[in-house]
Amino acid sequence: MFKSCKRYFFLGVVFSLFAAFLDMINPKVVQYTVDCVLGTDGTLPDFVASLIEKTGGVSFLRSHLYLIALLVVVIALLAALFRYLYRMCNIFGTERLIKRLRDRLFDHIQRLPFSWYNANHTGDIIQRCTSDVETVRNFLSEQMTALFRIGLLIVMAMFFMIRIDGRLAFVSGVFIPVVILYSLFFHNRIGNAFQKADEEEGLLSAIAQENLTGVRVVRAFGREIYERERFEKQNDGYTRMWIRLMGWLSAFWCSNDFITGLQIMLVTVFGAVFCVHGELSVGAYIAFVSYNGMLAWPVRELGRVISDMSRVGVSVKRIRYILDSEPENAGDDKDSAPLSGDIVFDHVSFAYEKDTKVLEDVSFTLKQGQTLGILGGTGAGKSTLMYLLERLYELPEDCGRITIGGRDIRDIPLPVLRSHIGLVLQESFLFSRTLAENIAITQEGEPDMDAVKQAAGTADLTETIERFSDGYETFVGERGVTLSGGQKQSTAIAQLLVKNPPVMIFDDSLSAVDMETDARIRSALKERTADATMILISHRITTLMQADRILVLDHGHVAEIGSHEELLKKNGIYKHIYDIQVDQK
Amino acid sequence: MKQKKEEVHSLPFFGIPRLLPFIRKYHKRILLMVSLGLVSSLIDAVSPLYNRFAIDHFVANDTLEGLPLFIALYVGMLTLYVVDNFFTTYICGQVEMNVDRDLRNQAFKHLQELSFSYFNQNNVGYIHARVMSDTGKIGMLVAWRLMDIIWHGSYVIFVLVMMFVLNAKLALFVALLLPPVILLIAFFQKKLVHWNRRVREINSNITSNYNEGITGARAIKTLVIEKRIGRDFAKESEEMRKAGLRTTHYSSMFAAIVTMMGSLALAVVLWRGGVLTRDGLLLLGTLSAFLTYALNLMEPIQWLIMTISELISVQVNIERLTNLLETKSDVTDREDVIAKYGDSFHPKRENWETLDGDVEFRDVSFHYPDGEEMVLEHFNLKVPSGSSVAIVGETGAGKSTLVNLLCRFFEPTEGSVLIDGRDAKDRSQLWLHSHLGYVLQTPWLFSGSVRDNLRYGKPDASDEEIWNALKLVSADGIVRRMEKGLDSAVGEGGDMLSTGEKQLLSFARALLADPRLLVLDEATASIDTVTERAIQNAIATVTRGRTSFVIAHRLSTIVDSDVILMVHEGKIIEQGTHEELLAKKGAYYRLYSRQYEELAYQQ
Repeated sequence: MFKSCKRYFFLGVVFSLFAAFLDMINPKVVQYTVDCVLGTDGTLPDFVASLIEKTGGVSFLRSHLYLIALLVVVIALLAALFRYLYRMCNIFGTERLIKRLRDRLFDHIQRLPFSWYNANHTGDIIQRCTSDVETVRNFLSEQMTALFRIGLLIVMAMFFMIRIDGRLAFVSGVFIPVVILYSLFFHNRIGNAFQKADEEEGLLSAIAQENLTGVRVVRAFGREIYERERFEKQNDGYTRMWIRLMGWLSAFWCSNDFITGLQIMLVTVFGAVFCVHGELSVGAYIAFVSYNGMLAWPVRELGRVISDMSRVGVSVKRIRYILDSEPENAGDDKDSAPLSGDIVFDHVSFAYEKDTKVLEDVSFTLKQGQTLGILGGTGAGKSTLMYLLERLYELPEDCGRITIGGRDIRDIPLPVLRSHIGLVLQESFLFSRTLAENIAITQEGEPDMDAVKQAAGTADLTETIERFSDGYETFVGERGVTLSGGQKQSTAIAQLLVKNPPVMIFDDSLSAVDMETDARIRSALKERTADATMILISHRITTLMQADRILVLDHGHVAEIGSHEELLKKNGIYKHIYDIQVDQK
Repeated sequence: MKQKKEEVHSLPFFGIPRLLPFIRKYHKRILLMVSLGLVSSLIDAVSPLYNRFAIDHFVANDTLEGLPLFIALYVGMLTLYVVDNFFTTYICGQVEMNVDRDLRNQAFKHLQELSFSYFNQNNVGYIHARVMSDTGKIGMLVAWRLMDIIWHGSYVIFVLVMMFVLNAKLALFVALLLPPVILLIAFFQKKLVHWNRRVREINSNITSNYNEGITGARAIKTLVIEKRIGRDFAKESEEMRKAGLRTTHYSSMFAAIVTMMGSLALAVVLWRGGVLTRDGLLLLGTLSAFLTYALNLMEPIQWLIMTISELISVQVNIERLTNLLETKSDVTDREDVIAKYGDSFHPKRENWETLDGDVEFRDVSFHYPDGEEMVLEHFNLKVPSGSSVAIVGETGAGKSTLVNLLCRFFEPTEGSVLIDGRDAKDRSQLWLHSHLGYVLQTPWLFSGSVRDNLRYGKPDASDEEIWNALKLVSADGIVRRMEKGLDSAVGEGGDMLSTGEKQLLSFARALLADPRLLVLDEATASIDTVTERAIQNAIATVTRGRTSFVIAHRLSTIVDSDVILMVHEGKIIEQGTHEELLAKKGAYYRLYSRQYEELAYQQ
């Protein structure tokens, strides 16, 4: 990824070379002005002398000093131009590279298997995609070339300083490694403390977040005192940690000031002594002091830059972790033969973690166009069954087979499989878009309002939507209007209806709406999707009893399977639950 | 939930007077810090004079006389400068962090007392930013931004004074440069502020895009919309790239302008100062000092302007935070109630009466603070201690209203809620809440272990008590299956558990506190039938002798209740026992039969 942007960085470095060189000229101009134009005790290098001759000689310059001022301004203008070009080249390469990195991360994350999301914390992944990318961005746009630029500056300034006076340059130069090493040492040491402080802040932030999200629980249990004590304790610890850090930082800055101050003093004193001995001209002395001053800041920065670079290594590793994670096996994307036929689970067993089987030896057939109901307790493996069918989790080789129309789903390309089977989840998800866009999310481009309205009607959403002042244009999701659990589920159903896949699965997806709405939605669905194959997962017998066949799952086993009447006759789990729900005096 | 539109007002003195109560505490330290800062910039402004002395005295007179004194003075000054700076920055950091901490504590404390209408009107992210990020920005403001003004402002003034003292004519030429410099810098600063804000906006879009891509992964996969989502993201990241280029363009121009202006000042000094030196009106050392001043003057001016624009932008944060701190709770205890029962943080438990559980709604009318429509009108209901009330109705029909009033999360607009025959307002909120068990529709657990969570309502509960509570709601099996039993972590907000498991645990948590009043707000919506039946039996056990309010849409849960309230579009339309309501053949009857109609049809 870096290669394609390399030339921008290279060009940037070239521009920075020009800029640094131009910066070096001004002190020289001052030197010659002081020594040769204002004074008489300096010697000019040949090419400068001839240049002055061409413009009219020293005496001409002496009476037209503004020419020198003009020269200074022109040089400064050029230096500013090159510095601008340098930074723009740098940022051009950086932004281009970072955009690609961001896009690649996003795309890659979409292609990772579902188990990956469970194994990794959302907050942590986001951190990697934002803060760590930002660290890399800063490195590219600032540190990487800063290292080069500062190095260049030191070399050039040292060159000019040595040309003026080797001994004085030595006095000045001796301090450079001292300051760099000191600053490097300090920043390395303080780096851990900063990280620790960040972690403490994270904890404090989490306490506040939890308190606010769980405010109803806090109040209902009357635990305000406990919450406040917890917050203040963490707040106090965090504050104290930062104050200690500030102490270290101040000590570092100030000791560095002291070192720099000593250096300046030595240069001043030695310079004065050399001048008095006649070994140095006044102009050269003034120029030398300028060069020395130019170095003070960059040298101090160098230590920080180098220690920051180690942080980039960590960030790159953290980003690599995501990019190196194995994506789902999407299959051959040219194979887009439509699917049809019966869905068969053939001796399927599955475990998320070793030894704890969630499904064991599950076999059943769902004929095309039929409806299957699934009933089972919390944790019986109902949802797992559906995740396997959608290949959100991959069924391992020796754990049975799932086939559609005789084809093993492991051989079906993912987009084909998932377009064939639509799943409405128990906990539905809304995107930060308008309601219309959410419902029509599977369609490209502008939402087709007729389809959206029809789907919303079937999902019993029309009334709800009409109550919003913005109607279908109401913004929902994280930063929009909050919908109730039932309204969310209805939206997800409408979403599925627009997608209109041949197989529809409703995973307890009407649990949050009341019975009346549930019944209304189901009868509307029935009308609309007469020929669709359906799977209904529910706790409600009233929902399940319309299915052609009902599967009762008990701790991962198929306990019973059959129609409503057959199961009632069996007098098993289904009958038991039926009795509980119908139980009326 | 609606988000209030924020308007950026200009506050008098950048809103700083509103912060005075928090700053006043540290006024001595701030005063010290300011005076130390003044000393430090004075030294900064004076230091080029050393160089001037070196040139005009040692070099010009060809003498090394007085060099030891010169060195001693310099080192002395340098030491003073360094020590001074150390204390300034250290104290500045202290002030920043202390103000920060005080603001955060105050905001957090205030939030613990605000009523639910505040939390309904502002989302968590918004409030969280007030507590965590506004406070930080304000701390920066009262410490570092103040010091920036002191340091750079006084430095500019000192340098100007020095220049005028050294040579008024030359100083005037430099001073003439300043107005255009200030205008130019201000122009670019404004642009820069605009683009920086834009970058932050896009950045937060990108973050929420990632968030959506990850938390919505299951939905994205099942809908097969990876490509579409990816394309939308690429649009956003392209925006970011462009904004990044723009920002750098302006910041580079900005930096270039500042150094250019420095060079311009240098050129002016070289020209006019050169003329003066040539004519013998200015010593070379003074010229050298002027050259240094000219170069060094621009950066502090840049800093000053940046600080001022920072002051302007922090106004929003000051306004938001102080608005939060000034928000009054809709539900407050009266003075005399606090005097007797204590406030939320200093309860006087010795004065607390026991709560028996008689509840009465007497002529209660109510509308939500953010709505106009009356939800309850002249509602009357007597609930004798120990009886159970069920509230049924459609999704979104307003079933939670009664419970909100009972728990004093909201106060009746008219009329009163009586507990044990006395107005609920006559006792403190904490008193009521300490006798309350509340199981929410969306169960919320705190990160930490199962034990921590169950103990939330009763911090000193023994493991035995915890297991008993778990058994009551048939959740003991769930916990036993977890790897570390009671010590197992539940994750952020209980994310490592299923919704059903969370509901069971929050049920156990409520029971553990042994409350007199029990509120179950659709507590069993995501639990399977067998477990629910087990819980129903448990409910029967635990509600015996307690006053309970149960909100449910599965009617089988509530047929045994003493009173059933049927809610429709926010109003209570029917009220009575199961049999009475069935006999009425009204809305309840219809709702009830709907559940069994289809079954009957089959049979």
